[in-house]
Amino acid sequence: MTIYTLTHILDASAQRYPDHPAMRCNGASMSYAQWHRRAGALAAALVEQGVRPGDRVGIYLNKSLETAVAIYGIWMAGAAYVPLDPLAPAARLIFALNDCGVRHLVTQNNKAAAVRELAGQSPLKHVIGIVQDQLPVPLQGLTWTEVNSAGGPMPKLRVTEQDLAYVMYTSGSTGTPKGLMHTHHSGLSYAQLSADLYDLRHEDILSNHSPLHFDMSTFDYFSGPLRGATTVIIPEAVTKLPASMSKLVQDERITVWYSVTTAIVQMVLRGALDKRDFSALRWLNYGGEPFPPAHLRSFMQRFPNVRVSNVYGPAEVNQCTFYHVDAPPDDDESIPIGEVWANSEGIVLGDDDQPVADGEIGELAVRTPTMMRGYWGRPDLNAKAFYLRSAYEHYQDSFYRTGDLMKRDSLGRLRFFGRKDRQVKTRGYRVELDEVENALGSQPEVGECAVYAVPDGEGSSLIEAAVIAKRDAVIDEAVLKAALAGRLPAYALPHAIRLMDDFPRTGTGKIDRRALRDLALSAPAKAEVS
Amino acid sequence: MREAIHSFIQAELLMGQNVALADGDELLLSGLVDSLGAVRLIAHIEDHLGMRIPPEDVVIENFQSVDAIVAYLAQRQTA
Repeated sequence: MTIYTLTHILDASAQRYPDHPAMRCNGASMSYAQWHRRAGALAAALVEQGVRPGDRVGIYLNKSLETAVAIYGIWMAGAAYVPLDPLAPAARLIFALNDCGVRHLVTQNNKAAAVRELAGQSPLKHVIGIVQDQLPVPLQGLTWTEVNSAGGPMPKLRVTEQDLAYVMYTSGSTGTPKGLMHTHHSGLSYAQLSADLYDLRHEDILSNHSPLHFDMSTFDYFSGPLRGATTVIIPEAVTKLPASMSKLVQDERITVWYSVTTAIVQMVLRGALDKRDFSALRWLNYGGEPFPPAHLRSFMQRFPNVRVSNVYGPAEVNQCTFYHVDAPPDDDESIPIGEVWANSEGIVLGDDDQPVADGEIGELAVRTPTMMRGYWGRPDLNAKAFYLRSAYEHYQDSFYRTGDLMKRDSLGRLRFFGRKDRQVKTRGYRVELDEVENALGSQPEVGECAVYAVPDGEGSSLIEAAVIAKRDAVIDEAVLKAALAGRLPAYALPHAIRLMDDFPRTGTGKIDRRALRDLALSAPAKAEVS
Repeated sequence: MREAIHSFIQAELLMGQNVALADGDELLLSGLVDSLGAVRLIAHIEDHLGMRIPPEDVVIENFQSVDAIVAYLAQRQTA
């Protein structure tokens, strides 16, 4: 069959490998045929509830087989999925539900209390996964058992590769998250390019480390299934304990691992790797942050048969470059970002928006079929996000501006030199410092504040803040942190808040955040010392 | 010991959030404790009990809840 939408991935693999295990999680398993049938039943239920092509349907699930059923079931109904962070505070979820108009939610019974908080504050009308009597009046519920035992007739839908497939929210510098719009075309292009590049095979067993609301999960839910492989969904709890994570790699006989760098560094440092058998593992892909060369060397020396690759690409483009690390790094020079992948072009732009000469630093912009269509409902951001290069009269090529500063080295490989703006990565999570600063600055007792990233000593960084109280106001750190926890995801919360009478300033009177960071490194704030 | 672990998690790892922590609660699943929190918790236990916890023991079975941690430590102290 011809595969031109993401939905076809499951149609094709269910036809070709019906009895092969497609997804495993926490001891439970689902074959491609079972997955296809369950997704079809969900689609029928969603259509019955009124979902129409183009609608956005929320997924609010912990790591489970249902996540996979939800994605493909929503697509079969012609809708786009909106993955919600199962651990985010209610205010953040309510924002996303309102922002892209989510009326239908796919969830699980133990989320009933959290879902009740969303009712009335969002357009939510229908909930799948929660029994009706657990829901307040405006919400209509349907349990998974009811979904699986139903399965009405499906209307003939005309979904094309140009249609919306998912809207993924990420930190926004103006204080609210922004929704990336990916189409079947961009998602499927990613699945095909990555499956080719990493030579995915039917026999492969993939790790799913990333939760659904992070773009890396698309490799495990799109690319693996495209080749009829097996994906092992790693429960949240396991991802937090490196020795449990490494044991899972061993016991599940994972062949292709893909995660944020932090997770692998933690396995190197605390994963009891000397006690683990990774003989099935053939490829380890990391992304999101640079890999400290010393830790990479240690991993590669222990597992010489595992191929290691650096993956790069903001969620806006899924992925756009690759670098295969051929040998353990013999010095501490950073690992290259590498080269732009197939069917794509990268240019490095200077401050004048013109391509720089090779060897000069500038912002990387890429055009690739894996690129998002834009940010949901944000013409302001969309006007700035793309670089348009005149191709023919009245016709322009569109490049995504990554915001990442790069240069090409003498071998033509891209190398990373930091951010153009105040976006940071903290242990694998992408956070706009301005969003945190916004949240902190809007607290009534805060006069002035600064939020900055401090190196964590393991190759990533932690977010910290410095605060000056308003005149006559008293700052209680616990109260402040609790207020922030109501607005921001846990990973974006400052690990330490330093109370100060004044900040170090630059000559022009601006807050000197570099000095604050240095202060944090030389004299950790109280909360850091446990 | 149970009290000490409990108060450390509440004060240091929950960062002052108003969360009632029960001894059987899933610390790691709930998002109450992240991977960095797990590292700090283990360092704290090692400091205060003067014992070393081998990396291979830092697994779900031993650290999923306050109950599990207490049971693991008791078994380790008598071993």
